[in-house]
Order: sequence, then structure tokens, then C-alpha cells
Amino acid sequence: MHDRVSVDVEPHPADAKSSQAGSAEAGIRIAGLSHNYWQQGKPILAVKDIDLDIPAHTFVSIVGASGCGKTTLLDILSGLVTPQSGLVTVGGESPQAGRKDCARMFARDALLPWRTAAKNIDFALATRLADRAQRAERIGELLKAVGLDGFQNAYPRQLSQGMRQRVALARSFALRSEFVFLDEPFGALDALTKVALQDLLLKLWEEIRSTVVLVTHDLAEAVALSDRVIVMSSRPGTIVADIDIDLRRPRDVKALQSVARFHELVAELWGRL
Amino acid sequence: MTEKALRNPTSPGFQAPKSAWSGRLALLAGQIGLLAAIMGIWEWAAVAEIVPRAFIGQPSVFIPAFFSGLLNGTYFSATLITMQAVLTAFCIGSFLALFTALVMTAAPPVERLLSPFIDALNALPRVALIPLFIIWFGLGITQKVVSGVSIMYFVLLSATLAGAKSVDPDHLLLARSLGIPRWQVFLQIVVPSAIPSIFAGMKLGMIYTVLGVITAELIAGGRGLGTLVSYYSNTFDTNGVFAVLILLIILTSCLAGLMNAVEKRIGRWRLA
Ligand SMILES: Nc1ncnc2c1ncn2[C@@H]1O[C@H](COP(=O)(O)OP(=O)(O)O)[C@@H](O)[C@H]1O
Ligand SMILES: [Mg+2]
Repeated sequence: MHDRVSVDVEPHPADAKSSQAGSAEAGIRIAGLSHNYWQQGKPILAVKDIDLDIPAHTFVSIVGASGCGKTTLLDILSGLVTPQSGLVTVGGESPQAGRKDCARMFARDALLPWRTAAKNIDFALATRLADRAQRAERIGELLKAVGLDGFQNAYPRQLSQGMRQRVALARSFALRSEFVFLDEPFGALDALTKVALQDLLLKLWEEIRSTVVLVTHDLAEAVALSDRVIVMSSRPGTIVADIDIDLRRPRDVKALQSVARFHELVAELWGRL
Repeated sequence: MTEKALRNPTSPGFQAPKSAWSGRLALLAGQIGLLAAIMGIWEWAAVAEIVPRAFIGQPSVFIPAFFSGLLNGTYFSATLITMQAVLTAFCIGSFLALFTALVMTAAPPVERLLSPFIDALNALPRVALIPLFIIWFGLGITQKVVSGVSIMYFVLLSATLAGAKSVDPDHLLLARSLGIPRWQVFLQIVVPSAIPSIFAGMKLGMIYTVLGVITAELIAGGRGLGTLVSYYSNTFDTNGVFAVLILLIILTSCLAGLMNAVEKRIGRWRLA
């Protein structure tokens, strides 16, 4: 994990903007955040008065109905959308697209169809790691970790949806970023594939323990994966509940199905929605 | 993992079923049959004088005429002269169109500035300009090349611009979140996304280049295949005209086939 020192030691002026990286330990702070979109000249209040503190190395899920502003919130954290009001810091710095300490995973796999599985991971990894041999090594390890050993030369067309999402997960975690933002990564998968990938996500996360914000509309998924679940109301999205998940780690998503506390927590979440 | 076994490209289940071959053979047989039927009706219409033979020619005459023209060297130098102009025009036109598309895609203000002019030029029937090109550039190869370029340029340009706009927005977001610089986004995302449209545009552009060059030869004379066509039609040798047209169809198909082969190599991922 990066520490303050490695960031402070290299205040290379040319890099200052693109590699502007905060300190991991500062976590994520959101205060008084509201954001409007404009549709046909009318403002659409997507998120309203969000206050949220996420300590470093925490796995937080945000749940809520479709259209309640979850993606907007992630877009703001990833610096893809500039909020209209409120204060947001990620690792003590304001969000900016392309920050080297942040990784974003999209709802659809967003794999480049003209690149093989390995080259798709390389597309992201090359922005952080110049050494080709080191990249090849890390890609090999990752493909193995996500259960795609032997598929490095397969094109996305040749892979099932579950396998493509595995590649996308590998691409996001290849960066070993301190902040990882995941937008409904398993939304389009069948129940069995979903559980396999949730376990995979936990495994990848246990290794680097980054600060994760996962957006989902699957309450059981949120409970199974997270330390904390934030419930958002429908539009305009505001926080209506903030629940600690006291299940011990490391977790096994399939085994959780027979844990009473897991079902209690899911039931409690349903009650808050 | 079962999904692995199903999708593994090297597993036997991945091969195309055997019936694909016999299906293809049947299709080919059907196409040859259709062609033979058309020629048969044509021949019958000519022999029975349903339509005057001098107007429509006769397959049993122009098909042998095509082969003898091929073998006795009548077509040889004309083909070389025409193809020289076609290939020159195609290369210059492709370069100019791709370069324009590159500038317009990389700099949206340039696109907004130029697009009304390009639309206007595109709407102009450029064949009508060929007599002017002859006045400006004489009767040699230059006016043929200019005619070919003027027609194919817009075909390829609009195809390429459309391709560059077909980029998946998710890919652009991914690149932005990774902090990939603009020119890299262009090379690594916009260009590959546009490749299928570029090839479609080039194949169509090739056909239009031939159209431009042949038209220029029809009007200006000289020693190309277009001149041969106009010579035969001026001497009422309808069969001679059709024999040259067969040659033109074959030449254009060969060029299109060549481009398909290149596309297959570059776009392997689409066929995988
Ligand atoms: N780019 C945009 N322009 C206009 N309105 C948008 C845009 N993106 C999202 N919205 C609107 O903002 C609201 C929240 O959207 P989003 O954050 O995508 O919700 P969620 O991810 O929770 O489904 C929706 O009502 C949506 O229509
Ligand atoms: Mg969303």
C-alpha cells in the first residue's frame, strides 16, 4: 500500500496534475453534496444533501432504487461529473478523472472488443506501470486469480458475460488503486455466476484492502460484501439509512446463505428501503 | 468450470458444423444456376429477336469475345492504363479522406466549420465536373485521377466520420477515468472503432474510383478501358462493349476481394 511518504517524496511538477494522488488514509469525505442535471431546460435534482464519511480501507455499498442517483454519486467520486454544490474529497484531494490512486468499474464490462483479455487488462495497467515485463507478469497472475488461466488470447466475443466481467474485475484490480468505485458490476449476471464473482471480488479486495464504494440494487449482495451499507431514497437521492454489517471476515458468500445474522441484516435493509 | 468448456476456442465443440460446407456449395450452385438462367434468357431474347440483337448483344458472342480479347492482348495495355489511374486515384483519395477525417475528428471546431461545405460538394453531381477537369488538366492521366479522387473522396470521408462517431461511450468514459491522453484515446479507441466503417467506405470508394476514371476516359478518350467501351459503342459493337464490362466487373471484384483479405487480417477480433 502507498504511504504518505512515497507521495510526498516525488513532487515532480510535470506529474503534479495527472498523478495528483491523495493520501490513502484520509478516506472519502462528502459534505452537503447536491447535483442537478439539466433535461430539456429543466433541472433534475439527482442527489441532494449527501453527507458521508468513509474511512480508508472500508468496503461500503450504496443501495437504492434505479434512478436514485447512485451512478451520479460514483461519477462525482471518480471526477467524471463536477458537482454543483458541496464538498467532496477522496484521499484528501478533490476528485479528478484519471487520478492514479482511483479505479472505476462500469456497469457494462466496457472491454475493448478488438483487444484480447490480456490486452484489455494491459490497456489500464499501462497507465500505471511502464515496465512491459512486469505488466505481463501481473496480468498472468490476475487472469489466474479470476479463473481465466489460458484465456489471455481470447477476444471478448469469445467469452461469456460472466467471463467478460471477470476480465473487467481483473482490469480494475490490476491497478491496485487505493480507491475503487464499482457501479453495479454484477447487475446483468445470473444468480450462480453472481455469487462466484462476488467471492472473487472479496478475494481480490482482501489482498489490497482498498477503499471500495460499490453501487448495487441487490440488497443481499450489499450485505454479503460490505462493512457498511448506505441506503438512498428515490430521486432526489438522499441518505436514509447507514447500516454497519457486523459479519466477520474473511467471508464466503455461499456460506453466508446459511448464516442467520446475514438474513437479519438483509431483512433490516428491506425495512429501510 | 462449465462456461470454460463451452467457450474454449480450442475445444472440439467450437468448430463449425460440417453441414456448413454443403450449405455453401448449394448456395454457389444456386448462384451459378441463376447466372446461367439470366444468360439463357438473354441469349434467347437475342436469337428470337425479341429485342434487336444490335441493341443487347448476345452472350454466346460477347463471352467468347471477352476471352479472346483477354488472350490476344487487346485489353492488356488498356487495363494497365486504366488501373494505373484507378490505383493512383484510390491512394490519393484515401489519404486525403482519412487525413481530413482525422483532423475533423480530433478538432470538432474544424468539423463544424467544414461540414456545410463538404455537404454542398458532396451534393454536387461531380461527374458534371469532368469536362472542366479536362479543360484544367488536359487529356492525360491527371484529369482521370482528379475525377476518380473527386468522387471517392467524399464516399470514404463520410464513412470514416460516421465510424468515428460510433465509438462506445463506455469506452470513452473508461479512458477518461484512466487518465489516458486525448491523442491516445484517438489512436487506441476512436480509430479501432472506426475501422469497420473505414473498410466499408474503402470498398465502396474503390467502386466509385473506377466509376470516375472510366467516365473520364469515356469523355476524354485516350487508351484506357473506358475509351475501349466508347470505341465499341460508337461502332455499334454491342458485344464488344459487354466483353469489356465483364473485364471491369472482374477487375473491380478482385480489388474488393483484396480489400476484404486485408480487412480480415486487421479485424480478426470481429470474426473470432
Ligand atoms: N447525463 C445526464 N443528463 C441528464 N440527466 C441525467 C444524467 N445522468 C443521470 N441523469 C438523471 O439523474 C437521475 C439519477 O441517475 P443515476 O445516477 O444514473 O441513477 P442510478 O445510477 O441510481 O440508477 C436519473 O433520474 C437520471 O435520469
Ligand atoms: Mg446507475
